[in-house]
Order: sequence, then structure tokens, then C-alpha cells
Amino acid sequence: MNTNREHNEDGELRHHSYDGIQEYDKKLPNWWLFTLYGAIVFAAGYWAYYQWTEHMLPGYKQVEERLVQMQKNALNSGAPPTDLQLWNMGHDPAVVATGEKIFKTNCIACHGPELKGGIGPNLTDATWIHGGLPTNLYTTVTTGVATKGMPTWGPVLGPARIAEVVAFVISKNQTIEKPAK
Amino acid sequence: MKTKTIEYNDGIVRQFLIASVFWGIVAMLVGVLIASQLAFHVLNFNTPWLTFGRLRPLHTNAAIFAFVGNMIFAGIYHSTQRLVRARLASDFLSQLHFWGWQLIIVAAALTLPLGFTRGKEYAELIWPINIAVVLIWVVFAINFFWTLAIRNEKSLYVAIWFYIATIITVAMLYITNHLQIPTSLTHSYPIFGGVQDGLVQWWYGHNAVAFFLTTPVLGIMYYYMPKAAERPIYSYRLSVVHFWSLVFIYIWAGPHHLLNTALPEWLQTLGMIFSLMLWAPSWGGMLNGLLTLRGAWNKLRTDPVLKFLAAGVTFYGMSTFEGPLMAIRSVNAVSHYTDWTIGHVHSGTLGWNSFMAAGMFYWLTPRLWNTKLYSTKLADIHFWIGMVGILLYIASMWVSGITQGLMLNAVTPDGTLAYPNFLEVVNSVRPMLHARILGGVLFLSGMILMAYNLFRTIRSGKPATATIEVQVPDVPAKEGMSLISGFLNPPVVYSFLLVLFGCGWGFAQGMVSAVSLVLLVETALVAMIHLGLSGKKWNDWYEKLLESWLPFTVLTFVAVVAGGMIQILPTVFYKQNAGADAPLQKVYTPLELAGRDIYIREGCYNCHSQMIRGLVGDVLRYGKSGRLTESIYDFPFQWGSKRTGPDLQRVGGKYPNIWHFQHLMDPRSTSVGSVMPNYPWLFKQVTDIPALGSKIRVLTGYGVPYPPRSPDAILQSCIDQAQGITEDLAKNGIKIGPEKEVIAVIAYLQQLGKYNEPAPAAPAASPAPKQASAN
Repeated sequence: MNTNREHNEDGELRHHSYDGIQEYDKKLPNWWLFTLYGAIVFAAGYWAYYQWTEHMLPGYKQVEERLVQMQKNALNSGAPPTDLQLWNMGHDPAVVATGEKIFKTNCIACHGPELKGGIGPNLTDATWIHGGLPTNLYTTVTTGVATKGMPTWGPVLGPARIAEVVAFVISKNQTIEKPAK
Repeated sequence: MKTKTIEYNDGIVRQFLIASVFWGIVAMLVGVLIASQLAFHVLNFNTPWLTFGRLRPLHTNAAIFAFVGNMIFAGIYHSTQRLVRARLASDFLSQLHFWGWQLIIVAAALTLPLGFTRGKEYAELIWPINIAVVLIWVVFAINFFWTLAIRNEKSLYVAIWFYIATIITVAMLYITNHLQIPTSLTHSYPIFGGVQDGLVQWWYGHNAVAFFLTTPVLGIMYYYMPKAAERPIYSYRLSVVHFWSLVFIYIWAGPHHLLNTALPEWLQTLGMIFSLMLWAPSWGGMLNGLLTLRGAWNKLRTDPVLKFLAAGVTFYGMSTFEGPLMAIRSVNAVSHYTDWTIGHVHSGTLGWNSFMAAGMFYWLTPRLWNTKLYSTKLADIHFWIGMVGILLYIASMWVSGITQGLMLNAVTPDGTLAYPNFLEVVNSVRPMLHARILGGVLFLSGMILMAYNLFRTIRSGKPATATIEVQVPDVPAKEGMSLISGFLNPPVVYSFLLVLFGCGWGFAQGMVSAVSLVLLVETALVAMIHLGLSGKKWNDWYEKLLESWLPFTVLTFVAVVAGGMIQILPTVFYKQNAGADAPLQKVYTPLELAGRDIYIREGCYNCHSQMIRGLVGDVLRYGKSGRLTESIYDFPFQWGSKRTGPDLQRVGGKYPNIWHFQHLMDPRSTSVGSVMPNYPWLFKQVTDIPALGSKIRVLTGYGVPYPPRSPDAILQSCIDQAQGITEDLAKNGIKIGPEKEVIAVIAYLQQLGKYNEPAPAAPAASPAPKQASAN
């Protein structure tokens, strides 16, 4: 733009001054221009790639596919525990300690720190609304009881942690007897 | 030619300067309080007007419109008079502007804590105040453009370009985002709902940052930086290129606030790529500021003004690099809804705005009161504790935000959440929240030091009146260019064609797109060749344009209006409930609507989003991701921007009524370690049922399918639903009247996420969680 070739290091000042403020008319730095043009070219490429190829499935579809895959993997990782397995875990101090931590962060809000209940029912007595077998407990935690406000913990905690928290409940409830298998 | 002596109106500058310092301290004081509330919930004091949800809007509005607002008015009025060698056109309009603006601020400071809000971020003020804001902005615009019209300096300096862009763009954004129909003297519903409201809101929200916090301050930089450094501006052509690219590109970037949400993919992509393209234009401003200091760097050691300006511009560069980074979809998946965003905003407002303000105030005050700065030493101390304060603030928010983002998104190999309990995440960042308070306190202390320093400076001097001699021609000179020649010239025509063919390539399909691409490349080539041949002529044309404020203003408006039109209009005219296979939001019952307005009044949206993003972590934690059609009856939308607490889009039916009852009374009784305030007043106050009549009437006008109902029928419907909830609570031994506000809030919360199943013809896309009924 500027027809006055630069003679000294800074080039010439523009002829105009505003309230004493003057301006050089130096060339735009090359790296800056590269950033500008680079971003524009990238933007055009990104737009074309994602708008006109199969790569831009709507976000929720991608997530659904990933979740289905994950759940498949989880299912293949082993069969759900049996009554006996859960009962045994309930008498393994290491498992019970892990389960206690899970219980404290997720369950005491409704079932109370002593498991005596509150918003949710008491877990230390012999009354079981949804079945008192260890696997019943496991299922109740996994699927939840929507009508009573018990959340669906399956996708939240996963099978391993649900087994551990059920083990903790078993360890606190003297009325659950050792199952046959 | 005759010589005329002009006396500048510097009184108005002094007024705005003092107001800015005062409101700045107020805004930051509130900031420190709400930062402390996030770490120590007892500081909410169980008092409605002191809770976080009501004070956070006060903090943001005060910081933006009161502190920075008064600062830019001071800077614009001071520098414009000198740059155009004319006194402000009207003393009356100047005073009206000042006092009108202060009244608006006072009105905001009273109404926001009392719970009068529109529930849209940075646009919370209620409709009567909105009208006052528009009127005062028009007063400002008339005063400014009138001054341009009577100027004695032919050509407009780059600072003025930025001021022009500020005035017209803020007017456009503010008016569009505040279109609303009142339901009472203090309440209204915005005319846009759901995704439309989301798009308009963030087009406004993002560009309030752009055109209220950035462009006017860039203009201020272009005046005070060379003044303080006593050096020429680095590059005029960099000014030209970065001004036009900045105003054109900025406006498109708004949808980056809605990445990974239910917003249509094409808009998300536009939001991301325009944010990336914005990086260079933003840095153009930083470069022109910093490189102007060449040859004056040694002055930084002794001059506090330059220290503040140089650091401010550096922070500008930092946050305008961070912004595009956070607008990348995958980065945003981590950063969005977390403290990282809060840190980002504050590196802009504390680092850029407040430091530029301080630099300007330290430069202006001695000159406006014809004296010397009381203490350079104190100003230096202000600089350093302010700097440490900012760094503490943003570093702690980085750590906190990235921790939150990674923990909340972490998934175990068997497809479950690694940290299923939200509170675990809340409590793991507590030390960072404490560090943030310290950062805020340090910064506020610096501001108070500045206020003291300026006060002593003012006391030592007297208000000074600056005058200049100007040559006035006997016949008033004509503007350099007519509107027509403003448009019909090669640079404008080429730019227009490039945008047109660019859109044709990007938005059309098939042949049209291909032809547009060819034309686009061809136009670019022709334009480059033409520039090579007639660059000098184009330069002359631009200099001529700079002598004509009206064509310049119109061209700026055209540049900023394009992006908004292309993004918003298709969404506004697209029928939101068109997809038959989409879940359709259930219409709120009158009681739920009343509860929703209480939810908005308490500012719940400041901490709770209602938009489950299409991300594995979100879906596992909160349920199926949100769809467009699930918020079509939300006026205003409540997608939110921050998750201090968990998302609530599908909280309905997740917990029993008694859980919500106890949780609202004392959140820690159900959620150990929660930082949420208690809401005891919801258990005493009575739901405003009579107001529902006009509310439902307005919503019906917006197309929400309410059956026609008499006031008595509305009342009966509320009583029936409320009694259902109180009876359920009674079963758990809790006695409460159905008229209490908490019942309406529970009714609202329990229906969140409820929708009518899509038409059976279309197969359900995923195993949706069963929608359990609340009772």
C-alpha cells in the first residue's frame, strides 16, 4: 500500500498526526499473517470435512454408540455375582472397607450413616421391600426403584462397586444368613 | 479561515472517572463475597438478598456495566474530544448520560438482590431498566456522533473506529436480546425460547465481551498507549486489517458457548471455527499495542501508567489465545461448565479491563486536576499486588476447572463413572476456591490503594480546563464521501463478494456450492491482483472514508450484522417442534410455571445447568443427552453455563418429594459437603398464583399450547397439584401448606426432563430412562 519505500529502520511516519499521535505504517509481521491465513484455511477444511463427510454424526448418536460398546464389554467381563459370592464378600474385611467408602459417599444421604434409614428404608433390620437375598440387594441397587426415589446405580457405580457396597450392607445386617450357593 | 478557541468538556470525564473507581470497588467487593460463599456456604446468611444466586448477577453487571461502563465513557469522552478537536456536542446530553447511567446502576443494585431478574446472564435487569439503558445508550450515541459531525479534525483516528463499532453493535445486541413482553411491572418473558433464546443470548453474551469489554478498551489503548509511551503507533495498516477482521469475525463466535449441546451441529462448527479465526485479529491489537512500546521499554521501570497498560495488553493477548483454545470442541468438553471458564473471564476482566482502567486513571487524574500523581510508589505497589492477585486467581481456577472437567468426565473401562458422586468433585477443589478468594482480596486491595492514591492526587490539585485553538473555515467543510461511494468501490465490493461466495460454498449444496467455490477463488485472485495494481488508490479511498463518519459507520454495521443474521435467522424461522421423531417437551402446569419463575428468581441457573451434553460422562451421570425439542417451552432457556452443582435437566422423578423438601431446607442434610445455600424463605413465602394469569397469556401468545382457563381454573389446578405433593410429604410426617413456594419449586423440579414420547412410527434411538411420575 505504502509507496514510500522505507529508508531507515522504522520506515516513514504517516503524514497525519492526531492530537500529537503519529503512526508508522509497518508491514504486517509474517508470522501474524501466517496465523491469520492458517486459521482461515483450517476453518474451511474443518467445515468441509465435518459438514460433508460421515464424520459428523450428531453428538448424541456418537455417545450412544460408545455407551453400547462399553456396556457390551462390561457384560463380557463376567457373570453377575451369586448369593454366596456376595455373602462371602460381606465377610471379607478388605471388601467391606471399600464398600463402606462407597456407601458413605453415595448412600448415607437417604439410608443414614448407621444404615437405620431416613428418606430411604432401614437396612439393618429383617424387613426387605424388594427381597432380602444378596442378589436381590444387588439387583435393587443396580436398577433402582424409580417410584420410591432410589436412583439407578448400575450405570453410575458399575458392577464391581455395586458388589462391594452390597457386601458392606451384608456385613452390617445380622439377619442375612449364609446362602447355600 | 478564522481561529476559534475550544474548551474541552473535561468535567464529564472527571465524573465518569470517579464513578468508575467507586463502582469498581463495589463490584469487586461483591466478587470477593460471592467467591467466599462458594467456599463457605454459611456466608449466604440464610438471607434471600445475600444468596449467591442473586448476588452473582449483581457482581457481573456491576463489573461490566458500572465499572467498565463508566471507565469507557470517561476514556471515550476524553480521547474523542482531543482526537476530533471539538468539545462534546451537548453538555446537557453529557450530563443526562452520566446521571442516567448512575441511576440505572443504582436501580440494578436494588432490584437484583431483591430477586427481580430476567434470568439471562449479563441481561438480568428487568424490562423497565432495559428501556432506560436503551434510552441512555441512544443519548450517548447522539452525543458522540454529533461531536463527530462538528469535528475540526477531518480524518478519524483508529480509536474512533473502535468507538463507532462499540456504539452501534452494543445497541444492536442489547435490543435484540432484550425483546420481551411484560407480564407485570417487574416481570417479562423474552420473546425467544429454548434453543432460539440460547443462540440469541450467547450471540449477545459473547459479543458483550467483544463490544463492551474489548473494542472500546482497544480504542482507549490506541489513545493512551502512544500518549504515555510518547511513541508513534507501530503500524497503521495493522490497525486497518485487525479492526475490520475483528469486527467481522467476532460476531460469529457466540455458539462456542453451546458446544456439545443440543444446538444444531452446523452452528457449533461455525462457533468453533470463527473462534479460531479470531485469534489473529485479536493478536493484531496486542501487537500494535506492545510494539508501540518499542524504544520506550525502559520507561516501564519508572512509569506505573505504562506498566499497567503493557501488562493489560499482555493479558489481552493471553486471554484471546485461551479463548480460541477453549472453543475447540474437545477442549470445551473438559472446560465447559467448570471453573476454567471463570478463570478465563477474569484474566480478561482483571488482567485486561482493570489494568487498562488503572493505567488510564493514573494517566488522566493528574492531567484532569492539573497536578502530579500523589505517589508513584503506591501505584507500583498496586501494580504488583494486583498482578499477584490475578495470577493467583486464574492459576487456581485453571487447576480447579481442569480437575473438575477431568473428574466429571472420567469413565472406567467397564463403562461407569470413575467419580459417581458429584460432591466428591466439589470437595476436591476446595483449596483452589480458598486460593481464589486470596487472589480476589489482593486485587481488591490494589483497587482500594488506587482509590486512595487518586483521592490524594485530586485533593492536591484543582479541576483543570483544557483549551485548544482551531482553524475553522468560513464555509463548513463537506464530508469526504457520500454513502454511495462508501459502498461502490473495489475493496467493499470484493469483500462483499468474498463473503457471499464463501456462504454460497459453505451453506449451499451441489452445483451452487461448487460454482460458489470457483467464484470465491477467482474473486480472491482478482482482488489480490487488483490490490497489487491499485493498492495506492485503495489506500486513498480508505483515507477518504476516514473523513466521512456516516459511510464508515454504515460499513461497520454491515460488517457486524452479517454473522448474526446468518446464524440466528434460520433458527428463528425454523419450526422447533418440526421433528416428529423427537421427544417433545411437556407444557408446564401453572404450578410448575410458578415454581420455574421462583427457580429463576433465586438465580439457580448460576450454578445448575439444564443441558446434558452429548458426552459419555454427561450421559452416564445425568441421563440421555438433551434434544432441541425438550426446551421449546422454556422462556427464557435455562441451559446454564456453569455447574457448581449437578445438571438438572432430567432431575425430575430422580428423588422423592421429601428429598427435595429437605434438600432445599438444608442441602447438607441430603448431600454431605454441599456448598448450596439454604432456602428457608421458600418455606414461608406464598406462591404468587394471581400473577399466573398474565404470564400464561403471554406464553400462549408465544405459541405455548395452554388451554384457555379462567383465573379460578388456574387456581384450582395449582391447588390440586400442590395438594398432591403436600399429601405425599405428609406420609413422611411433614406438614406444610400447599400455598408455600417450596411446593411450587418441587413441582417444577419433579417435572424437569418430562417429555411426550416421539410418534411411535419412528424407532426409539436409545434405551431412554423411563420417565417416572413424581407422585
